[in-house]
Amino acid sequence: MTPTPNRARLPAPRPASAAWGRLNDAAITGISIAVLVFLCLPVLIVIPMSFSSASSLRFPPESLSLRWYAEVFGDERWMLAIRTSLVLAALSSTFALVLGSLAAYGITRGRFRGKQVLQSNFISPLIIPSVVVAVALYFALARVGLLGSFTGLLVGHTLLGVPYVLLIMTVAIRSFDIRIEQVAFTLGASWFTMFRRVLIPNLLPSITAAWIFAFVTSFDEVVVTTFIAGTHETVPKRMFNDLVLQVNPSITAIAALLIFVSVTLMALSAWLARRGRNRLQRFPAQA
Amino acid sequence: MSVASRKHGAPGFLLVVPLLAIMALGFNLPLVMMLGKSLFNGSGITFDYFGQLFEVPAYLRVLGNTFRIALITALCCVVLGYPLAYWLRRLSAGWQFVALAAVVIPFWVSILVRTYAWIVVLGNAGIVNRTLLGLGWIDRPVAFLYNELGVVIGTINVLLPFLVLPLFAAMLKIDPQLIRAAETLGASSWKAFWRVFFPLSLPALAAGAILVFILTLGFLITPAILGGGRVPMIANMLDLLVNQQPDWELASAISTVLLGATLVLFVMYLRLTAQKDEA
Repeated sequence: MTPTPNRARLPAPRPASAAWGRLNDAAITGISIAVLVFLCLPVLIVIPMSFSSASSLRFPPESLSLRWYAEVFGDERWMLAIRTSLVLAALSSTFALVLGSLAAYGITRGRFRGKQVLQSNFISPLIIPSVVVAVALYFALARVGLLGSFTGLLVGHTLLGVPYVLLIMTVAIRSFDIRIEQVAFTLGASWFTMFRRVLIPNLLPSITAAWIFAFVTSFDEVVVTTFIAGTHETVPKRMFNDLVLQVNPSITAIAALLIFVSVTLMALSAWLARRGRNRLQRFPAQA
Repeated sequence: MSVASRKHGAPGFLLVVPLLAIMALGFNLPLVMMLGKSLFNGSGITFDYFGQLFEVPAYLRVLGNTFRIALITALCCVVLGYPLAYWLRRLSAGWQFVALAAVVIPFWVSILVRTYAWIVVLGNAGIVNRTLLGLGWIDRPVAFLYNELGVVIGTINVLLPFLVLPLFAAMLKIDPQLIRAAETLGASSWKAFWRVFFPLSLPALAAGAILVFILTLGFLITPAILGGGRVPMIANMLDLLVNQQPDWELASAISTVLLGATLVLFVMYLRLTAQKDEA
């Protein structure tokens, strides 16, 4: 805050400052690359490890095999857990998509009070620690006798997927030109027809992206599931329980499968979201 | 127009009702019931369960532990994340895409998987210990796992993207002309950074640190796996009180405290991000 006295030093010795700047840049680059390696290390380690032929968790693996995958796919309990996870994720993400998209439309286009409160409420499962949600759901489900039921699990997973659907679909609907909807209404379409023939076809990339987010959220969910699932076993729940007890190399194969599923689906959703944006910009009056 | 749109337009509030109903029954009501359980015993309002929480040293220790680990994690994320976000900002478009992918891809991978991988990396026969032994820097394997260090490393790894990605977005909004102006006026690049760039990025940095802090408070998986039961945090205590030695009232009181802390901090987070948007 003392600009005037410094003015005398205005022609600063440039070469020294440039060298200092280069040193600084090199340090920042070094730190950043190290941090990136740190971030990616778990993912980069697990995939080659899953092809190890040894039963020790040594990295790098001495020789490769599909032994641990064979073990997982030959284990009925793992297969059942995979099936439960897939069914639960497919159902809960579909519920979250339908309920969340309708609510997103209502909040974006409707005229009523308290939208902000509703929006915050629907997004709150993202902010409230999942262990708090798990404890609350545990007590509530126990009260109505649904603890350990698939229905309870479905409700929990649906609510955890809703925030993502709402965030994605609110943006998508807001950026869709309302006049196109109005034209459809003027031409005599009922709101149901307008949804089916105008809105859904145009927002399909965002809808798919939202569904994928909800699917992956459910597919990877551990905490709420561990509390309320009872005897139902999902892949992450069994993996968590096994890990707390003892580390077994077939978990590496499961971990690699989880990486594969999430990364593929999320990359697909990122691509769809980008495509959705471009499409809305380029063909605003399609359909 | 308003008559026409009311007649033809899609219903507004009506479309929100299905989700609102499920949300109220499956989320809001359970939270309220939990709150009630922590405050009421058979006869009336009581603060006994909260009192128990703050009187029993074992519970207090877990609370203290959790807040300390959350603070350490948030500070480490600041120290590691700030240079990374700053560096990302100046990369060419192609490299920026690659580097951002390296931040985002782990973000998409299950916490469970990322936590598990650290057992392989940091174990006594893990890659880090073998490298350090091979280099002769240490004589005995360093105990990275099943202590606070392991929990902190695992938590930082999971939460760092939550700080880096919004911080990077905020840094992109800072006008580079301002830095150039400062340098033209005679500030060294060091001074221009600390007097101009850093203060402008501070709200986003603080918001990111708060977010990491909040998320660490509720961590269950990482302390359970990398702490090996020796580093209990609030969530692990809840797991114990609900699933193993049922004390639902105490569990409700602890959850309420955790919920309250989260909400207070989240309001702070919203304030900071709102300020940033106005600027």
